[in-house]
Amino acid sequence: MNRNLPLYLILPSLLLALFVISYPLYELINLSLSDVNRFGKVRGFIGLENFTYIFEDQLFIDAALRTVVWTVAVVGGTILFSVPIAVILNTEFYGRGIARTILMLPWAISLPMTAIVWRWSLNGEFGMLNATLMNVGLIDSPIVWLAQSATAFPVQIGLGILVSIPFTITIFLGGLSSIPIDLYEAAKMDGANLWQQFKRITYPLLRPFINMAIVLNVIYVFNSFPIIWVLTQGGPNNETDILVTYLYKQAFSFGHIGQASAVSIVMFTVLLIFTIFYARMVMKNEK
Amino acid sequence: MSITMTKKTKRSIFCWLALSPIICIILFPFAVMFFTSLKPRQEVFSFPPTWLPSEFIWQNYIDMWHATKFGNALLNSLYVSFSATLITLLVAIPAAYALARYNFGAKSSYRLFLLITQMLSPIVLVVGLFRLIVWLGLIDSVNSLVLIYAGFNIAFAIWMLQNYFHTIPKDLEESAWMEGASFLQGLTKVFLPMAVPAIAVTAMFTFINSWNEFVLALTVLRTEENYTLPIQVYSLVGGRYTVEWHHVMAAALVASLPAAILFSWLQKKLVTGLSSGGVK
Repeated sequence: MNRNLPLYLILPSLLLALFVISYPLYELINLSLSDVNRFGKVRGFIGLENFTYIFEDQLFIDAALRTVVWTVAVVGGTILFSVPIAVILNTEFYGRGIARTILMLPWAISLPMTAIVWRWSLNGEFGMLNATLMNVGLIDSPIVWLAQSATAFPVQIGLGILVSIPFTITIFLGGLSSIPIDLYEAAKMDGANLWQQFKRITYPLLRPFINMAIVLNVIYVFNSFPIIWVLTQGGPNNETDILVTYLYKQAFSFGHIGQASAVSIVMFTVLLIFTIFYARMVMKNEK
Repeated sequence: MSITMTKKTKRSIFCWLALSPIICIILFPFAVMFFTSLKPRQEVFSFPPTWLPSEFIWQNYIDMWHATKFGNALLNSLYVSFSATLITLLVAIPAAYALARYNFGAKSSYRLFLLITQMLSPIVLVVGLFRLIVWLGLIDSVNSLVLIYAGFNIAFAIWMLQNYFHTIPKDLEESAWMEGASFLQGLTKVFLPMAVPAIAVTAMFTFINSWNEFVLALTVLRTEENYTLPIQVYSLVGGRYTVEWHHVMAAALVASLPAAILFSWLQKKLVTGLSSGGVK
C-alpha cells in the first residue's frame, strides 16, 4: 500500500478549496491595505487608512451595532422557540410525520424566494398580512411594514427566526433521540412532573446540542444577506443595514473597494473567532 | 388498551394546538403564493385584498413562463446546480474515503482546514471572489458559479460523506483486494455501491445549496439570459416600477416546489445524518 495514497485522495479537494477560498482571501487582505479606485485598480499601499475610514463612518458603526442586535435576537429567538418545538416533535402523537414535514418547509425554500413572498405579503396596501390582521381584529388600519425601520427591522428579525428554526430543531431532534427513555421512566417512578423531567433530564443532556446550535446559528445569521437585501436593501435611510449589506453597498453601489475589503477582513476575523469556538466544541465532543 | 389510546389522542390534540401558531406562520407565505398566483391581474391590486381569487386563472402560469423567461433561468439553474454537484462529489468522495479509512499525518489539520472553509460564506469574501472571477475572465458566466459553488460545498460534502463511510464495514473492500481485485476495482465494484445512499443524500444537499444561492449570482451575472432562478425572480421585483406580483408568486412557487419536495423526502435521513456524526 502506497503511504501517500491518502494524500493523493485528498489533494483534488484541497486544491479546489484553496483556489476558491484562499485566493480571494489573499486579494482581500491586499485590497484592504491599498488605495483602490472604483474600477478595482490598485493605486498603492495606504496602510490601515481603509480601516480608519470605516471605523469613523457612523453608518458602519450603526450597521455593526445592528448586526449584534440582529444576531443576538435571531439566534436567541430561534433557540427559545426551537427547544419546545423539538421536544413536542420528539413525543409520539398522531400526525407527527406531517408536523415534522411542515416545520422543515421554511428550510426547503431559498431565502431570496421566502423574502420575496414576504415582501409582497407585507405590502401596506395590498398585502395579505394586513388584510388578515385586520380581519381577526388585531389592527385597525393597514401598517406600511417596510417603509419604516421601527417595523421593518423587527419583521426581518422575525423572518430570520422563522427560517432558522428548521435547521435548529433538526439538531435538537438528533440530540433528543439519543436520550435513553429509561431515564424518563425512572423519573416518572420517582414522581417527577413534566417540568422537572425537562429541567433535570432533557435540558442538561440537550445542552451540548444547544451550544452547537448557538455557535452555528451565530455564524449563519451573522452572514445572512438575502432577507434584509430583498425586503429593504438596508433602507430606509440605511436604518436596517447590517454589516453584510453595508459591505455589499460599499463595494457594488459606491465602488469603495478598499473600504469594502476592510469590512470583509473585520468580519472574517469575527468569524474566525467563532470558528475556533466551534472547532473546540467539535473536538471536545469527539473525545 | 382504550386508556392508552385516549391518552395518545389527548396528547396529539395538545401537541397540534401548541404547534398551530408556528404552523400558521409557516404556511402563510405558501397560501399567499398560491392564491396570488391564480388571481386575475386587476384583482391583485384591488383594495381591500381578499384571500380567494374570484376565479382561478391557471393561465397565469403559462403567461408567467413566457413573460419571465422562466424556462431559460430554469435551465441555467439546473446546469449550475448539476455541474457544481458533480464536481463537488468527484473531489469529495476520494477525500472522504481517505478521512474515513486511513490514519495519516495531515488528517487532523485537514479536518481543521475544512472546518474553517465551512464557516465562510461567499458574502464575506464577495469582493475577493469577484476579483477571482474577473481574473479568470468569467464575469457574467454561469461557469464561474459552478466553480465557486463546488469550492464552497466541498467541506460540507466531505463531512457528511465520511460520517456515512465510517458505517460501511472495511472488510468488504479488503476481502475483494485479498481475492485479487485491483485497488480501483475494490472501490468501484464493492465500496461505491454500498455508499450510494450516502452519496445521493450529499448530492441532494449540494444541489439544493447551489440551487438557492443568491449573493454571488446577483453579483456575477449581468445579462438576463444568464440569470439563475433566484436572480430572475428577484429581478422581477427589485428596482421595478410596477411589479406583476401574480407572475412573481407563480414563479416563486414553481421555483420552490422541486426543492421543497426533495427536502420533505430527505427530512428523515437528515436527522439521522446530522445526529450520527456531523454534530456529535
